[in-house]
Amino acid sequence: MGLFSGLFGKLGVSKKKVKVLCVGLDNSGKSSIINQLKPKKTAATELVPTVGFAVEEFAKNNLNFTVFDMSGQGRYRSLWEHYYKDVTGIMFVVDSTDKIRMCVAKDELDTLLAHADVRNVPILFLANKMDLPLAMTPVDCVAVMELDRITDKPWHISATNAMTGDGLDEALTWLADQMSRSIRY
Amino acid sequence: MQGGQALPPVEAQQSDWQTQGSQWLSGVKDAAMSTLATGGGGGKKDEDEVYSPFLGLEKSQVLQECRVFNDPQLNPRLCAQLITKILYMLGQGEQLSRSESTSIFFGVTKLFQAKDDHLRRMIYLVMKELNPSAEEVIIVTATLTKDMNSKQDLYRANAIRVLCKIISMTDPTMLGQIERHLKQALVDKNAFVAASALVSSIQLIRVNAEVVKRWVNEVQTALQSDNQTVQYHALALLHMIKKQDRLAVNKIVSSLTRTPIKSPLAQCLLIRFVKKVMDEEGGGGERDRTLLEFLEGTLRHKSDVVIYEGANALCGLPNVSQRELSPAITVLQLFLCSNKPTLRFAAARTLNRIAMLHPAAVTPCNMDLEGLINDANRSIATLAITTLLKTGSEAGVERLMKQITTFMSEIADEFKVIVVDAIRSMCIKFPQKHRLLMTFLSNMLREEGGFTYKKAIVDTILELIAQIPDAKEAGLMNLCEFIEDCEFTPLSTAILAVLGTEGPATAEPSSYIRFIYNRVVLENATVRASAVSALAKFGVQLPQLRSSIVTLLLRCLHDNDDEVRDRATLYCSMLQKMEVSPDDVFGIGPAQLCLQPLPVPLLALEHAVAQYLAQPSDEPFSVFNVTMSAEMLAAERKAAHEQSAARRKAENHDGGSRHQMMPGTPGKAAAKAVDASVDYLAKIPQFAHVGPRFSSSKPAALTDPETEYSCACIKHVYARHTILAFELRNTIDDQYLQDVRVALDLAGTAGLEVEVELPCPALPFGVAGQAFILLRRTEAAPTGSLGCTLRFRVREAHAETHEPLDSSAGYEDEYALEELELAAADYMKRLMVADFRAGWEGMGNGGEVIETFSLTYSGLPEAIRAIVDFLGMEVCEGTGTPQDGARTHTVLLSGAFLSGAQVLAIVNLRTESAKQVGMRLSVRSADKEISQFVASCVA
Repeated sequence: MGLFSGLFGKLGVSKKKVKVLCVGLDNSGKSSIINQLKPKKTAATELVPTVGFAVEEFAKNNLNFTVFDMSGQGRYRSLWEHYYKDVTGIMFVVDSTDKIRMCVAKDELDTLLAHADVRNVPILFLANKMDLPLAMTPVDCVAVMELDRITDKPWHISATNAMTGDGLDEALTWLADQMSRSIRY
Repeated sequence: MQGGQALPPVEAQQSDWQTQGSQWLSGVKDAAMSTLATGGGGGKKDEDEVYSPFLGLEKSQVLQECRVFNDPQLNPRLCAQLITKILYMLGQGEQLSRSESTSIFFGVTKLFQAKDDHLRRMIYLVMKELNPSAEEVIIVTATLTKDMNSKQDLYRANAIRVLCKIISMTDPTMLGQIERHLKQALVDKNAFVAASALVSSIQLIRVNAEVVKRWVNEVQTALQSDNQTVQYHALALLHMIKKQDRLAVNKIVSSLTRTPIKSPLAQCLLIRFVKKVMDEEGGGGERDRTLLEFLEGTLRHKSDVVIYEGANALCGLPNVSQRELSPAITVLQLFLCSNKPTLRFAAARTLNRIAMLHPAAVTPCNMDLEGLINDANRSIATLAITTLLKTGSEAGVERLMKQITTFMSEIADEFKVIVVDAIRSMCIKFPQKHRLLMTFLSNMLREEGGFTYKKAIVDTILELIAQIPDAKEAGLMNLCEFIEDCEFTPLSTAILAVLGTEGPATAEPSSYIRFIYNRVVLENATVRASAVSALAKFGVQLPQLRSSIVTLLLRCLHDNDDEVRDRATLYCSMLQKMEVSPDDVFGIGPAQLCLQPLPVPLLALEHAVAQYLAQPSDEPFSVFNVTMSAEMLAAERKAAHEQSAARRKAENHDGGSRHQMMPGTPGKAAAKAVDASVDYLAKIPQFAHVGPRFSSSKPAALTDPETEYSCACIKHVYARHTILAFELRNTIDDQYLQDVRVALDLAGTAGLEVEVELPCPALPFGVAGQAFILLRRTEAAPTGSLGCTLRFRVREAHAETHEPLDSSAGYEDEYALEELELAAADYMKRLMVADFRAGWEGMGNGGEVIETFSLTYSGLPEAIRAIVDFLGMEVCEGTGTPQDGARTHTVLLSGAFLSGAQVLAIVNLRTESAKQVGMRLSVRSADKEISQFVASCVA
């Protein structure tokens, strides 16, 4: 294995590393989504609210993802900004059933977008918990969060279900595609 | 990986995280640096090894480089190198601003993604050094907890250290969340993990003792570990957990002394605990045989550290006997000839410490100490010489002094102070040698030196002046010369004050005037002011010089400084008035005003004068009319208490070293505490008429230490009065006592009457209070025991605030106290005499009284202690300790009796049987009645 990875590295065909930041309000399903993306062997069966942050790694679409799964709890949100620097992509998870706190999510997003370190970074919005009956559609989310105002960076929104993994593949493919373009070879 | 773990020395146990961390760090840093040097530079290895690859590191450049932390294509080696640079920078004392350290901290947290072991270790290190704020640090707790449960020992151990540090610095309550993990780690199979958990617990016990105390069982298990480091840390932690509980500590100690411990450091720690236990048991009772045997057993240990620690502990035991000392001395003597300088230094230092108390025990080492005089290490040489000075005979003094002079200029101030200390004690031991020593001291004074060093010399000269009358003139002259060229204001003022009091009594007082007046001309305002005061003291006491001093003072009237001018004006008018009529000023004689502290506190005086000026009356103002209001009294009392507490604290601070060095002044701390309360006594207007104090006794407890109310009495003796000062304490938290006073039963003792009684107005829980009784003596020196009863009014108090409840009117109550003894010693003042034999012969046998007694004491030392206490006289010429195993001994005592008459005594002691000591007491004084009184009081 070591020999092969070394060999691939020399030939330049080894998988590229990308650094992705996963943010969103608490209980929106960030850790669940990442857990779903991880190889089945290392996936956890039970999840507790993240304290601080966790670093996870998985491979998808020919890219090695290093994901910083940030805690969404109020006291940790101000610390997100320290991790914006030099990220290749951002995943913003929204709980599509939580209409009341949608405005809070919008506030946090606005702060994120206004930050100097977040420039030309593709943002993937995940309207999570789409399977639940009262879930908003992605289109509703775009309207509420005024995503259409984002013009300076590529963004995309998908409805997902972290429990089953529905919609994740398609969303990640978009992100991977965007990031592959931005990586300087 | 564990190789980098430097084992912290015993002291580090007590130090904080910072030192612990940095000590560990330095070890790791060296390791890291050597890897860098070999790995990075290749050929650099062969170059000068002292060269640091980080020399001339720029902070801004390093901060710039921190960008690599954010790189998606992380390079672990580059990152590790950069962290090393940051650590190096911090180690050099470079300060990071809040935002800089925040950005580095978050940069570092991103590195947790890397799987590289080396990098991970550097992450742990730098996290501890960065001191992130509480809001930032929470971001890593989850990650660290995860590492704590990792399979890798390196991650586990380091994560424990970092997390515990973070918890102890930010939020100790978080400990509960990781308690389970820590408990497991304490008994981990891996020594590195277990030691880390133990050390972390030692840090944590300071911030959250509750939780750590629950881990006793785990710590006990760790103590059984095979690993030395784990054992050492476990013992330290166990002791910290049980520290409050003396019985538990005793139990640990006694159980461990039976089962040997492998680790030498743990053994050292155990020796210290044993020593502490023995110290607390006190010197009075029988020593614990097993503990003593344990200490003696350590002298045969194979590790030098343990042997030294054991010998040191034996030497430091309270009231150690010569027989107990001898094995320790033998071991130390071997160390003196060791080729390791550390061992030589340690042994010389310990011997130096005990040389004063047990000169005879140290004498066998004299030969070896002589050899060390020429040691290349000057510190060792200094200690050797000072030890020899303390143990040596009178004849060797000259030679040793000559030796010491040769390298005095080469040693540091700290050691010069040790030399001065040795000279001080030697001078008191051999008063005849004062001339030689005084010359030496004055030479030392002339050399360059720091404040502490100069102060030590000046203090020594002042003490010699006070103790040895013959040395007075020479000492004063030396001090005069010193102030001519003294750059330390406090020393100058202190010397000027002494000149003022001592100078007028010398044969040629006028010779000092020039020195003092020179100060007025040449010095700064503070010194000028004290010089003016000193001049005035001469003027007051010496009528023949008065007119010339007035002339000098008149010149000071135009000084720039207010204080100097004010003093000069006051003294001028006072002295001029004395010329005309020696009348009192404000009710006090000029001599008293100049030479003694004011009989009333300044605050009260100021208040009274202001009142007098507001409403002038025909009667002249007098200090005796000054009264103190209740608040002022309370404030004074508080100040006096704080002062004595501070002194006690300071005394305890250097008690370990000083106390043992100065056997002539036992209970110095207690004596100083008494002094503080005396200052306060002098300020109570009701006691203003008693005159100067003759002596004060040590506090005598009138209750057992753990009773409801505690009471101790200090007897202050004055010319015709005795003041009894009762220190009171109420230990019941729901009682508030009022009007606390001590009722005396004077029926049994003739010649005493109560003149003034000052009860303690209120005595809340836990606050010390004082009550006073002023007794007038109608007979010269009444002795006997006085029945005492504590009378007070009890009111219920709030259990929390300890304030009295309004609903409770209270009731009168009383509490029986033990009897108060008035002994002959109370009327005797310890007074050193320069030449006992000459004094004894000079006194003649006109006033001599000889008595013989048979006393029930089991040994000579015990008998001597009792007799010295009983007579209240000073031991002369170091005769306080008998030779080891001697059956006869002679003690020379001197003192001053109430009337000021000198009293000398020779006590011949002989062991008659195991429980009997025969004593022949010869007392001489000018007055046979006094001798008779002193002799009769032993019976």
